[in-house]
Amino acid sequence: MSKDEKNKDLSRRDFLQKGFRLTAALSLGGLGIFLAKDASSEDMLWQLDPAKCVQCGRCATHCVVTPSAVKCLHVFDMCGYCDLCGGYFRPEAKQLHTGAENQLCPTGAIKRNFVEDPFFQYEIIDELCIGCGKCVAGCDAFGNGSLQLQVSHDICVNCNQCAIATNCPADAFERVPSSKKNISKGFSGGEDV
Amino acid sequence: MKGNKIIIPIAIVLLLAITGFMAMDFFGVFEKPNENPYEYNLDTFKDVKPQDISHKEIQQIFTQIEALRAIAIDKDDYIYVSGADKLIKYDKSGQFLHEIETGFDAFCMAISEQGKLYLGSRKEIQIYTLSLELIDTWKIHAENAILTSLAVNEQNIYLADAGNKIIFRYDLNGEFQNEIGRKDPSQGIDGFVIPSPYFDVALGRDGELWAVNSGRHQLESYQEDGRLISSWKKSSMGVDGFSGCCNPSHIAILSNGSFVTSEKGIERIKITSPTGEFLSVVAPPKSFDLGTKGIDLAVDSKDRILAIDPKRKQIRIFTKLEE
Repeated sequence: MSKDEKNKDLSRRDFLQKGFRLTAALSLGGLGIFLAKDASSEDMLWQLDPAKCVQCGRCATHCVVTPSAVKCLHVFDMCGYCDLCGGYFRPEAKQLHTGAENQLCPTGAIKRNFVEDPFFQYEIIDELCIGCGKCVAGCDAFGNGSLQLQVSHDICVNCNQCAIATNCPADAFERVPSSKKNISKGFSGGEDV
Repeated sequence: MKGNKIIIPIAIVLLLAITGFMAMDFFGVFEKPNENPYEYNLDTFKDVKPQDISHKEIQQIFTQIEALRAIAIDKDDYIYVSGADKLIKYDKSGQFLHEIETGFDAFCMAISEQGKLYLGSRKEIQIYTLSLELIDTWKIHAENAILTSLAVNEQNIYLADAGNKIIFRYDLNGEFQNEIGRKDPSQGIDGFVIPSPYFDVALGRDGELWAVNSGRHQLESYQEDGRLISSWKKSSMGVDGFSGCCNPSHIAILSNGSFVTSEKGIERIKITSPTGEFLSVVAPPKSFDLGTKGIDLAVDSKDRILAIDPKRKQIRIFTKLEE
């Protein structure tokens, strides 16, 4: 073996060693950055901005979860506790009582509780709510807008590409940090309610 | 055999029809992609018969005021409007005259016979000359006050407070006098039900105070000491009454004592008799953008009806059709 060939062998070995070290260093550095970022960052979740929501009904029909992970949320401190609640009664309701024929909600997911004459409190039964937004539209039209749609994070599977967000005509869906997972309007706005 | 000649063509036609129907069912798209099966639709309640319409819109004045909330007219028919940070004066033809910055969000306005303009925000009243010079400011004594309407006569100013669901009477020096409308079954007073910040008052032809008990779809009149004089109510999804949790949202009174009312939910302006019978529609729902709320009203000396349209930031003027 000539001297030149020996130098050539050494340089190749040297090159491979250096390459290996560089790859190892980059891998370790990348892993470190990934772990540091993972430790410092929050999970991002899908949420619906009620200020943009137009109650199109697609939250009920497009969610991959059945029934939808979008539920009605009642912001009690905005509520007028109305006897004639636009979110509870169908517009053509003949009588203001809890008969199914008078209720606006297609699944009967709103419970009406008497407080004192003439005030009533309205509770959402999450298990029955399908997130259609019909009550939200009724409350917005006549009342204070205390009924609002929100993604329930206990149910949402946090799809990478949310099927409702893709179809939302009002562009009301957005990614929010898990520490601020609700975007409700009103006095309790932005807090976990 | 003659029967077979008829049956075969009929059978062929039927077969083709059935095949066609099945093909349509299989390949056809019947569902509109944007149709909302859960739509909240009030359209059927928004129809107005043409013969029920008594007024026409003759003018619109664009105000450029954000959160336009209040309109008032003085005895010479000058028009004043206010909202966020602005107070503007127009002449009766709608010609702009003067504008000032108020520094607060006006919710309501009233003008006295003596020529003072009272502008109310949530808890404060600013008093101006009719040349829009600030002459005084009053703070309201009540906590949680949300002033939504003012009415003023020679002796008193009435403040409708939607926050406390009560009317306060002050004298014109700013001294508190008494409350009006607190629940008192012994006096036949049911108390105000005000679920949302729409609580309007106006003075009748005999100086009586009219107040809207919007949660009960009721109008009530009071003497200045708080005694109830009379009331009427009309709940209905039809054009003859009021619907939703809190309507009518605003009132004004014509020279013959009839009421002009505006509503939210089903956006419209209409006229009822002094005892509440439906008379006519001034502006049907189709004349407003969907979701228009806070249509404050005023009536001038010629019984023209002036309404503010917060969505369009306009003053809209209506006169009787025969005029």
